[in-house]
Amino acid sequence: MNKYINLYLLEYSINSLLRQKYKNIFITTILTFLIFILSSMFFITSSIKNELQFSVESLPEITVQKLISGKHYDIEVDRVNEILSITGVNDATARVWGYYYFVNAGVNFTLVGIEQFEKQYKDSLQNLVDSSKGFDESNAYIGQGVKEIMRKNYFKEYFNFILPDGSLKKINIGGTFKSDTNLESNDVIVLSKENMRSIYGMSEEYATDIVVKVANPDEVATVAAKIKLLYPDTRVITKNDLKVSYQNIFDYKSGVFLALFIVSLFTFFIIVFDKASGLSSSERKEIGVLKAIGWSLDDVLKEKFYEGALISVFAYLLGVFLALGFVYGFGAPLLRDIFSGYSELKTAFELPFVLDVQTMVLVFFLSVPIYIASIIIPSWRVASMDADEVMR
Amino acid sequence: MIEFKNINKSYKLGKNNTVAALKDININIKEGSVVVLKGSSGSGKSSILSLVSAISKPTSGEVIVDNKQISKLSDRFASEYRLNNIGIVFQKYNLVEDISVEQNVILPLIPKNLDSDLVESKVDTALDMFGIKHYKNSTVKNLSGGEQQRVAIARAYINEPKIIIADEPTANLDEKLSLDFIEIIKDLKKQNKTVIIATHDPLFFNLDIVDKYIEMKNGSII
Ligand SMILES: Nc1ncnc2c1ncn2[C@@H]1O[C@H](COP(=O)(O)OP(=O)(O)OP(=O)(O)O)[C@@H](O)[C@H]1O
Ligand SMILES: [Mg+2]
Repeated sequence: MNKYINLYLLEYSINSLLRQKYKNIFITTILTFLIFILSSMFFITSSIKNELQFSVESLPEITVQKLISGKHYDIEVDRVNEILSITGVNDATARVWGYYYFVNAGVNFTLVGIEQFEKQYKDSLQNLVDSSKGFDESNAYIGQGVKEIMRKNYFKEYFNFILPDGSLKKINIGGTFKSDTNLESNDVIVLSKENMRSIYGMSEEYATDIVVKVANPDEVATVAAKIKLLYPDTRVITKNDLKVSYQNIFDYKSGVFLALFIVSLFTFFIIVFDKASGLSSSERKEIGVLKAIGWSLDDVLKEKFYEGALISVFAYLLGVFLALGFVYGFGAPLLRDIFSGYSELKTAFELPFVLDVQTMVLVFFLSVPIYIASIIIPSWRVASMDADEVMR
Repeated sequence: MIEFKNINKSYKLGKNNTVAALKDININIKEGSVVVLKGSSGSGKSSILSLVSAISKPTSGEVIVDNKQISKLSDRFASEYRLNNIGIVFQKYNLVEDISVEQNVILPLIPKNLDSDLVESKVDTALDMFGIKHYKNSTVKNLSGGEQQRVAIARAYINEPKIIIADEPTANLDEKLSLDFIEIIKDLKKQNKTVIIATHDPLFFNLDIVDKYIEMKNGSII
């Protein structure tokens, strides 16, 4: 008596579902698909968020750019020394970097110029570059995404940069970043500063920007203000500013997607609800018969609950499982483009695995109870009416 | 044991239209008796059965069963009352055609959530009693009309209710099967069940097992 699950009721529910096999297969498929899309999206989101968090952490605390009437100019390298003399500043480096538009593929590469003695890069290069030879000043080191694009355009050993004067500069490819590095490094080409300057036609006295290290994180704002005071023609960006703007772009994209998705989810449930609320006459009759032979309203609703739970929990598990495989097994083809920009390059990153339980719970509550309610409510209306139709 | 006191029942048809299905009905039925409700179509036979089984409620008056007024029960207690006291054999049997005989017969046991051993033994007893044990695992839709009726009777019987109700039980049966049904009624009477049958089949009009005939016309007893 009073076992927790009524197995006979469960059996009846399963038979009930099988009686309308095609309809239920159809509903399960749609529901699984929606749950799959929703959880894939959340999985990608949390993966990228994690990834961004990680790469933002590695950003310089302060970046100084020269800005005149809103336009970005190259900055004088000798400003580094004056910035170094500000109290609280640990280190300051002039960087040479920028974008390079590769006409054949229609994409932008990010070029980063470094010098061998710059220890901040040296360590990470040693780790990242998929080559035992170490960094060679005359070579270029490229991200996986860049490699792919170059390969498609038959550049395997070297790459020809077009200089501002129209001439070509051939640079050998020294190595590739390991594929498990982050989002950021995908479209990157690392070169020596010297090579960079010749590609950009930039003189020795100038750099793209200056990055500043501050010993005490609490002093970042003060130091930033001092630099701004020292050089009113600059824009001083802190890591915090970047964090916020990264997050904004990202939240905007996932927000748009989420909005679209929720609209379609609701449409689905409205269709289900609409179909179900006009229970067919045989469904009404069945409820009437069950009540006439002694089932209470509770029993009828419990039966419907089992039906709804069987379908929606199954769809949920399958959908989440498929999403895990799709996102982490296959790297979420198509879907991740929504989040990672439109450049072909940006798509070639790996999504690190993050088991996001919160997301799974959220998806569960967005699907299972809503579906069960859409099954129970119409039956509840029928079951609470008099069943005397069955006598006619 | 079953008592109707000044029962009126009217159904709403649309907004302003009502049909008086039962008019000032008074009935008294003793425990263990077999009662036949007769009368032409639309005279109110099925309406009386609905009231006895608390499937519907009277517009006015009282239905009293075992000294309890069942016409005022809430939905929940009405269900409980039906589950424990009433077995119904519907005119069209109202079986679930795509599942097995056994699965149909246990339907009234499901709300009780009994152990499977008990369920099995109850099913076997009921199927045995109505001679359909060998159809236990057959799908209902593959059975003949007469066999289906036996499934319906077994289902009505399984909870061992005191009262068994049958609405036009022989409407879809030939004469031989109808006579078989009457034999079943005899068995039920032997078990001291109260049996109420609504019918206009003349076969029932001269039976010695019938204790009481109630003839209906236009919602009244004549
Ligand atoms: N649920 C209902 N809604 C509206 N009218 C109903 C309803 N049930 C019965 N009636 C009407 O009440 C009257 C009595 O019906 P009832 O079904 O009790 O008659 P009956 O004697 O069982 O007839 P039959 O021999 O055709 O089964 C009929 O006029 C019928 O149309
Ligand atoms: Mg009738």
